[in-house]
Amino acid sequence: MKLLTCPLNGPRNIAEFTYGGEYHPMPDPNITDTRAWAEHVFFHDNAAGVVTEWWCHTASSFWFLAERNTISDEVIRTFEASELFNQRIDFVATNSKEGKL
Amino acid sequence: MTSIRPSQVKRRSQLARRHIELGAEFEHCSNLIVVKDYGSQTEVDQAKKLGLADLSTLPRIGFKGTGAPDWAAYHGVTLPQQPNTSAVQKDDSLVAKLSHQELLILSDLGVTSTQIERLEDSPIAAQTYALPRADSHCWLAVTGNQAAEMFSKICAVDLRAHKFANGEVAQTSVARANSIVIRHDLGSTPCFYVLTDASATEFLWDCLLDAMAEYTGAPVGVSALRTLS
Amino acid sequence: MKPRLPAPYGSLIDRDMPVNFNFERRSYQGFAGDSIASALAANEQWLLSRSFKYHRPRGALTMAGQDANTMVQLPSNPNALADRELISDNLDVMGQNYSGSLTKDRGALLGFFSRFLPVGFYYKAFFKPRGMWEKWAPFIRKKAGLGIINQQLEPEYYDKQYKFFDVVVVGGGPAGMQAALSAGVEGCEVLLVDENPTLGGSLNYTRFDTEAVRGRKLRAQLIEKIEANSNITCMTDAVCNAWFADNWLPIIRHKRLYKVRAKQTILCTGALEQQAVFHNNDLPGVMMSSAAQRLMHLYAVRPGHAGVIVTGNNDGYANALDLFDAGVEIRAIVDLREQPCESPMIDAAVARGIRIEAGHAVYSAHKSGNHLSAVEIRKITSPGVCADSGEVIPCDLLCMAVGYTPTYQLVCQAGGQLSYDDESAMFTLGNCPEAMQIAGSVNSHWDLDACLAEASRAAVIATNALGLTNADVPPQIARESLSPNHPWPIFAHSAGKEFVDYDEDLTIADIINATRDGYEHIQLVKRYSTCGMGPSQGRHSALAAARLVAAATNRTVAQTGVTTARPPFAPEHLGHSAGRSFYPARRSNMHYRHLEAGAQMLQAGAWYRPAFYGRPDNSLKCINDEVNNVRNNVGLVDVSTLGGIEVRGPDAAEFLNRFYTFGFVKQPVGKARYALLTNEGGVVIDDGVACRFSHEHYYVTATTGGVDRVYQSMLKWNAQWRLDIDIANVTSAYCGVNIAGPKAREVLAKLCTDVDLSNESFPYMGVREGTVAGIEARLIRVGFVGELGYEIHVPQHSGEALWDAIMDAGQQQGIKPFGIEAQRVLRLEKGHIIIGQDTDAMSNPMEVQMGWAVSRQKPFFVGGRTIRELEKKPQLRSLVGFIVHDSRAPIPKESHLVLDGAQMTGRVTSCNYSPTLQKPIGLAYVVPDSAQAGSSIIIKSTGGVPVTAEVVNLPFYDPDTLRQEL
Repeated sequence: MKLLTCPLNGPRNIAEFTYGGEYHPMPDPNITDTRAWAEHVFFHDNAAGVVTEWWCHTASSFWFLAERNTISDEVIRTFEASELFNQRIDFVATNSKEGKL
Repeated sequence: MTSIRPSQVKRRSQLARRHIELGAEFEHCSNLIVVKDYGSQTEVDQAKKLGLADLSTLPRIGFKGTGAPDWAAYHGVTLPQQPNTSAVQKDDSLVAKLSHQELLILSDLGVTSTQIERLEDSPIAAQTYALPRADSHCWLAVTGNQAAEMFSKICAVDLRAHKFANGEVAQTSVARANSIVIRHDLGSTPCFYVLTDASATEFLWDCLLDAMAEYTGAPVGVSALRTLS
Repeated sequence: MKPRLPAPYGSLIDRDMPVNFNFERRSYQGFAGDSIASALAANEQWLLSRSFKYHRPRGALTMAGQDANTMVQLPSNPNALADRELISDNLDVMGQNYSGSLTKDRGALLGFFSRFLPVGFYYKAFFKPRGMWEKWAPFIRKKAGLGIINQQLEPEYYDKQYKFFDVVVVGGGPAGMQAALSAGVEGCEVLLVDENPTLGGSLNYTRFDTEAVRGRKLRAQLIEKIEANSNITCMTDAVCNAWFADNWLPIIRHKRLYKVRAKQTILCTGALEQQAVFHNNDLPGVMMSSAAQRLMHLYAVRPGHAGVIVTGNNDGYANALDLFDAGVEIRAIVDLREQPCESPMIDAAVARGIRIEAGHAVYSAHKSGNHLSAVEIRKITSPGVCADSGEVIPCDLLCMAVGYTPTYQLVCQAGGQLSYDDESAMFTLGNCPEAMQIAGSVNSHWDLDACLAEASRAAVIATNALGLTNADVPPQIARESLSPNHPWPIFAHSAGKEFVDYDEDLTIADIINATRDGYEHIQLVKRYSTCGMGPSQGRHSALAAARLVAAATNRTVAQTGVTTARPPFAPEHLGHSAGRSFYPARRSNMHYRHLEAGAQMLQAGAWYRPAFYGRPDNSLKCINDEVNNVRNNVGLVDVSTLGGIEVRGPDAAEFLNRFYTFGFVKQPVGKARYALLTNEGGVVIDDGVACRFSHEHYYVTATTGGVDRVYQSMLKWNAQWRLDIDIANVTSAYCGVNIAGPKAREVLAKLCTDVDLSNESFPYMGVREGTVAGIEARLIRVGFVGELGYEIHVPQHSGEALWDAIMDAGQQQGIKPFGIEAQRVLRLEKGHIIIGQDTDAMSNPMEVQMGWAVSRQKPFFVGGRTIRELEKKPQLRSLVGFIVHDSRAPIPKESHLVLDGAQMTGRVTSCNYSPTLQKPIGLAYVVPDSAQAGSSIIIKSTGGVPVTAEVVNLPFYDPDTLRQEL
């Protein structure tokens, strides 16, 4: 069983975690064209190499991110979500700009 | 034979029927009912070796939010230094820090501590939120020299004395149920508090007794625990 | 029992404790500590079982539990290894895989047909015509099966335990013991694990010097030091069955699986002796030289009366000396080498007058009955080829000492690489991952001192890595130039039967033919021929098969390689993987009140919930009565399992606005609002109600099965949005009931005096905080079942008290509990969908008639953009209500198909007999053309009967919602 180091709880068996999918920034839903939005929702990069992933320590419900090499399955580092998200995100309605396919 | 029954009050442990089947003697403690003992003369020795106690009816509360630690400190709480550690308070209650923004406060075994009530009555600050820990989780205590060894059958965190110091906290899975484990020794006897989703209390109790059987562990009442501490 | 060899032979047996057991219904006696095979061998019973394919007689090969030849049947355990399993009083042991009797097996006739059973036979013979395989499979399976499973077996108690060590040393031979000791003295916690009953490994049975003193002496010294070191834990009789990521080692001992986490692993797993490949090399009486030594030294059993040794190294001579000293008459040492090198062992053999035939091979073995009776030796003319004639030497024992393969399985699982060195004709290991060392013969060291030095070196590397030492790592020790492996101990025979793989009865021709059939890659050879697929997983076939395939395909052995060594190393019981069951079953605080009221409980996710109250054989009446009592009177249902999430803080409304489809910013305090959740793909995944208790406090319910995911998803979104809120899952903190029915208010009013319950003051979809029966409570006026109703949520530990109080208070009104079956009928009558039952992984809000619950005024919500795109496209299906009017038609069930001619156009998601409408009603996905009220649809009901149903507008019951707004 693999170990994963939770930034809050330290190294734990990976069975204690829930996988949250690849991290990739959400395009602005109000201005992105349909194709790009569909790519965001339905397609995953599934890259061979270092990817950033969401993980949640289930027992403490603590979400964090991990950089993992998908070829060697080596976890390079884990870090708190605040490292990537350090300010409040707001949405503004801009329906008119919505892209067309 | 006392006539105290768990059903005399509204607040009842999920394990009330288990205790009655085991021949428990109950006692009033503050305004709640707890198992005093199971009628054995050697319960203190049992607890020193390997005992299991149900403290679910005792007071506890949680506070969470970016404002919670400062607010609690302002109201006299001695904060543990690091997340996943705990600190014994002046009034013998126990405060565990579950993250930078979350505290869990447990009553002392005699329910003489006043901190929980004081905090409940204090005006709450911004970004501070109370959590109903007294109802969301059960509260069991596993005591004795063989406790860590027994835990290794159902918990993947190394709880042995030299790896998991007194006061340390582990949020992990115990018998596949999400749990908070706090080492809080009673005098020189190792003791682990286990707080698990209240709806899984009976499951956890049965699992623990099953895992304890190999080491002749048995249920003990709160009075044995008080003697040890 | 024949007399055994005198002590110190027989280190594992206790001669003072005789044990009686049965084999093939005959009684035998052995000693405590005897394996089944050793005890039988002591009684001259060598035949143990029959082989898998040709039913050939088989006996002990390794005496180490490493081969399938010794598989026997125990009453509760098929395929037990007779050379590993200990005897116990009255144990009943049977041979396996024979028809008739073990000694006269009718199935052995199959051997005569072996030329009609070529490699790939089953593929070729039964592939065509279609359906052929189904016809033959039962017959073949019966013939090919090994042991028999006892289906009357009672479940046994298996469990698991975690263990944590700084260093785990696998293998308790000289290298393993030394490594454990060197690590232990530096203060780290060490586990030394070995699959044998005692530590020592080869020191227990191998002759390391002509006087045969060094092994025993060294073993005693090492064990004494290990026992004196409190840092070292020894686990014998325990198999480390795999290596998994980050040094996670599953170790099986008896009925417990230890899940061991090691910071550093040192593998000293040793080497496995390999067989020579020649005609009839599988006869009982033919065994590895190490097996003969184990028989003598561990069990005090003389392996035969007259022996021949075939060897390609000096270990064969040591073996001959051992046999000689134990009183076995040595007829010859047949040395494959033209020029045996100089060695004190050879000198000692010569000194004892043992006949040595260098440059010779054992060309074939002869049998009498089911045992070896003679070998024919011939001069080797070129590698693998013998002279046309030779000499027959009568004997009842042939020991094979032609080389070893490292026990590479765990190393390779960890990413270590196996290569073949042509010079030494040996597999060697390299490229071990960090945090793993190998030492001893697994690392191709054969000299005892080199093994010990390598082990100490491995320990230094490990303790340095642990930060316990900062010592200079001694230089690596070069491998000895003298290899114990002969490059080609393989001798084809015109009559075949030179076994490469004993488990699967595969011969030289089978392997070569696989390559001729086009399967040249070693992985394909394995799958086509089944070589290495048997219980011993190629331990004794990998080397010979690699050599044969390499030669047949003009490649080197290194290029050919071996097949992947996957876990487990040794066969394990399903019980070991299963362990004891941990299923955190959840119960509400009212659980026992349901049982006392006669509820039939069912499991909904992890929760126990009352299905209905009453006898199972009367379920339909019970459910209908419960429904009617809610419609006409008042009922009480436990809704504690419902998810509850607190969303609190200045941005609470903004958060819900983004998370759910509806608008929440303008929701008044004291009101509840329906909350529908979609994922980013616009698919409906959960629902609940959002209760606004204050400007900054929402209490949101979620489905029983969905709440954990909803909660996690909320936290994940807000880890990105960083809104000023707190989210807390309080599902278990609250017990809840729904009191529903026209008399609900009347009952509740008796217990709740601090809330004005009148419809004007506390209308439908209102929420209030108050006390019920003296218990702090949250009250929510909801209408899931379509009647006047209040959900009452109270602190979990007071749930039972609440239940009791309401049941008491409602006695006069005829209150009765109802279960989730009745609740399902009631909500269906009211046309409410259940997420997960009436929705699937593709359902969008428009399809399930929930477009009204999607706000179009918000700048963003999860799934919003996708829903907008979906709305631009034509809708493909609609969830509609239907009524079956024909009272004789079989009531449709969930997942029954909606048909248009032969075309499937939809399916039923819910259907029940409605006691209120007195007709079957249901929900179904249909094509938009059929979605209009009044349309007629055909449902293929039970037994394929087409049932006509009428599409109707929802709800079925009380369309003007007068009843829930009483």
